Amino acid sequence: MKLTIQRATILAAIVIFVGLPLSFYALGDAPRRSLLKEAISLATLIAFAAMLGQFFMARSNTWLLSVFKPPQIQKVHKYIAYTAVTVILLHPALIVLPRALEGGVRPWDAFVTMITTLDNLGLVLGLVAWVLLLVLVLTAYFRKPIIKRLATHYRGWRYTHGGLATAFTLLALWHAIALGRHTDPRMSALFIVLALIGFAMLAKLYWGAPSRPTAPNPVQKGAAS
Amino acid sequence: MTTHEDNAAPTRRDFIALSGASAGLAAIGAAGWAQNAAEIDAESFTNTDHATDVLVIGGGMAGLFAAVKAHDEGAAVMIVSKGRLGASGLTPFGKGFFVFDPKTESGSIDDFVDTVSRSALGTNNPVYTRQVAEHSRDRAAELQSWGYFDQTLAHRPFMRPIEDRDIPLLERVTITHLIKEDGRIAGAAGFRLDAEETITIRAKSVILCTGAGGFKPNGFPLGDLTHDGSVMAYRIGAKITGKEWNDGHSTRVDHPAATFDGWGDMFERVPSTNGVDVHHDLGVDMNYRAYALGNPVSGGPGAPQAETPVAGGPFVPEEFQRNFDSPPGGDGPPPGAGEGGAPGGPPPGFGAGANVGGASAGMAVHKSEGLVPINDRCASTVPGLYAAGDALGSHMSGGIYTQIGSSLAGSAVQGAIAGEAAADYASGRAASVIPDARLAQIRDQILAPLRREAGYGPAWVTQTLQGVMIPNFVLYVKKASMMQAALAYIEELRDHHAPMLRAANLHELRLAWETRNMILSAEMKLRASLFRTESRCSHYRLDYPEVDDANWRVWINIFRGEDGTMQLEKQPFGTWPAQG
Amino acid sequence: MTIKSINGCIGCGECVKSCPCDVIRMDHGKAVITYPADCQICHLCRMYCPVDAIEMSPEKSIPVVVPWG
Repeated sequence: MKLTIQRATILAAIVIFVGLPLSFYALGDAPRRSLLKEAISLATLIAFAAMLGQFFMARSNTWLLSVFKPPQIQKVHKYIAYTAVTVILLHPALIVLPRALEGGVRPWDAFVTMITTLDNLGLVLGLVAWVLLLVLVLTAYFRKPIIKRLATHYRGWRYTHGGLATAFTLLALWHAIALGRHTDPRMSALFIVLALIGFAMLAKLYWGAPSRPTAPNPVQKGAAS
Repeated sequence: MTTHEDNAAPTRRDFIALSGASAGLAAIGAAGWAQNAAEIDAESFTNTDHATDVLVIGGGMAGLFAAVKAHDEGAAVMIVSKGRLGASGLTPFGKGFFVFDPKTESGSIDDFVDTVSRSALGTNNPVYTRQVAEHSRDRAAELQSWGYFDQTLAHRPFMRPIEDRDIPLLERVTITHLIKEDGRIAGAAGFRLDAEETITIRAKSVILCTGAGGFKPNGFPLGDLTHDGSVMAYRIGAKITGKEWNDGHSTRVDHPAATFDGWGDMFERVPSTNGVDVHHDLGVDMNYRAYALGNPVSGGPGAPQAETPVAGGPFVPEEFQRNFDSPPGGDGPPPGAGEGGAPGGPPPGFGAGANVGGASAGMAVHKSEGLVPINDRCASTVPGLYAAGDALGSHMSGGIYTQIGSSLAGSAVQGAIAGEAAADYASGRAASVIPDARLAQIRDQILAPLRREAGYGPAWVTQTLQGVMIPNFVLYVKKASMMQAALAYIEELRDHHAPMLRAANLHELRLAWETRNMILSAEMKLRASLFRTESRCSHYRLDYPEVDDANWRVWINIFRGEDGTMQLEKQPFGTWPAQG
Repeated sequence: MTIKSINGCIGCGECVKSCPCDVIRMDHGKAVITYPADCQICHLCRMYCPVDAIEMSPEKSIPVVVPWG
């Protein structure tokens, strides 16, 4: 099989957005639980990484536009959105549902306790992020009528979608680092770096000016070349 | 009335054995005498004053029903609990609830009471045995309606009737004192675990639902039960009974302290009900086997039976002798019976493997050890003071485990009866006035361990107590010389360690009070066991191995004499105590 | 180590309240294993935890006194 630029890109994406979280999970020292619970944890980690990946599968990634055709990118962006968003939206339920299979607190009771712990900042951030994601996904689904009604049409839509995505990512990331079982410093650093690059690309697209990323940025270099 | 005197002096060998048991304790991290690295300032404590008609102390099965029924009888009620409602004491771990259903039982309630009395060799109080059978079905129905039989954890179902009735609930409060004024109960006092605050609760009547206790042993989830209720009641003049009986549960040799693991999946089970199933479950027999033949001891459902017959040992009536041949989950007693029904043998889920006794060291048989009841309504010898469940020495089962699942059921039934009785007592009665000086004195006592600049660490004293009291040759296989030796140790702890316990924080303050209570309970257990010069049910003496019906068809009551010393008296089976 | 570790704590305090032996305390919004020597390994904290954050071990952190050798 020839290593075309397309294949290399896909491979790199898989390594960064799946391989790294998986290996950081494996290296982490959070205790292993049942197969089901670990599978759910992994699915959530990969889903969140994939959500970060969405920033790279967008118009903002000019370099990618030179490798793949925009409709191709759009399609993948959509499919990943459907699957990853489903996992993330189910994330609160997925935390408590396995308890139905064991003695102890019942899933619904656990759920109520969880979402009413409002004195915990990390938890409140997660709740707000969840609502933002719901708005993000609903607006994306109904984008056609929305775009029609927006005075600024497509440009306004882009700001809405990108803005919501950025806000969600910020809050969700903060939430994950504050509370996450697997977000040790290594995993947190990975997510932060990916998010910052994504934000930077988006900023560059919106304001045209080159942004000042805080981390070394190979993708940016690629985009500049 | 007899004052206890036993002159058998401990032999030198006894002393060596005892010191051996506590040797090396200094090396295990719990500092003995040391400076008090106080983390909080005793002078910064505030006090909160509460008042109610009926105060329920304890948040287990008995406390729940005591509060609900006292409220429904028209009293203002308050619950105070060391832990969380439904998540402290032994209630969270009992899963079997005995229900006598006349529709499905082949025998009558009379038959049931007779069977229990035969197994218990007369040690049970038939009035209380009958009560559990008569009321268990109603209590189970109420629990059912609160969702208790729908889930593993009891806190939420227990909260339903409490929230419906708006009953105030103080959780994570350690009660250290009962207050008596003008010859009757006047309230209680203690401190909060989460704030620098002492608590005073004035009450017209008090119901102790404080459970029994142990020596914080390993292998049984009673680390928070240290006989607090009965020791506080003893200090204000209540009579205490049943201290000579022994719960004989064992635990695994591997990870003996892992109570969850030792009980298989029982702690995760959803509670269920069971019908009449009367046993004579000892546990002491296993201790005797280990004492006579050495280790390893296996036993219990599914475990291979020991081949070597052992001579002597505790007496089991022929009618109730059973072997544990049936495989786990087979035709034997329902595995769910567990702690609530408390078979004396090894808990379910053990299978084959080496066990070691002493899991519940310091605890007597459920319902046998606690305040002496003066009637069938859970009243103690102190006017206005009631007790229910394991805090009441009702001898519902007798000095042995008889009916499976009756522990939880008995707590529910007695809680309800005590609740109604206490509400009746409080009705129309004015609250006693507690002088401010008395309250100030109590607050000083509560906080004293925090103020000590140096003292004994409560953990060290507890471990020393465990080293003296847990070995099977002290309270499981008893003889006068060894008990005298142990008593000498305990008196030392009582006189020279309990008054010098230190506490650096609120956690240690609780440990200090628990340690004091355990020391007094140990003294009671030794004195009662020395006093009963026969063997019966779970009380087994090597020097008096026979059942002695001529002299000992009696319960033993303990009370504080006017000179402050521990006094013992006999109360014949089937009678109520002399009022005085 | 009795109660072994807490991962993914949301600070709801259920474990603190449901521990019979006062082993766990809150510190800066998270449950912390504060007095492990008193843990009776009963798993109530684990069972009450809404987010399954608690990992248990059957090992007691202090030597155990048993009645015979």
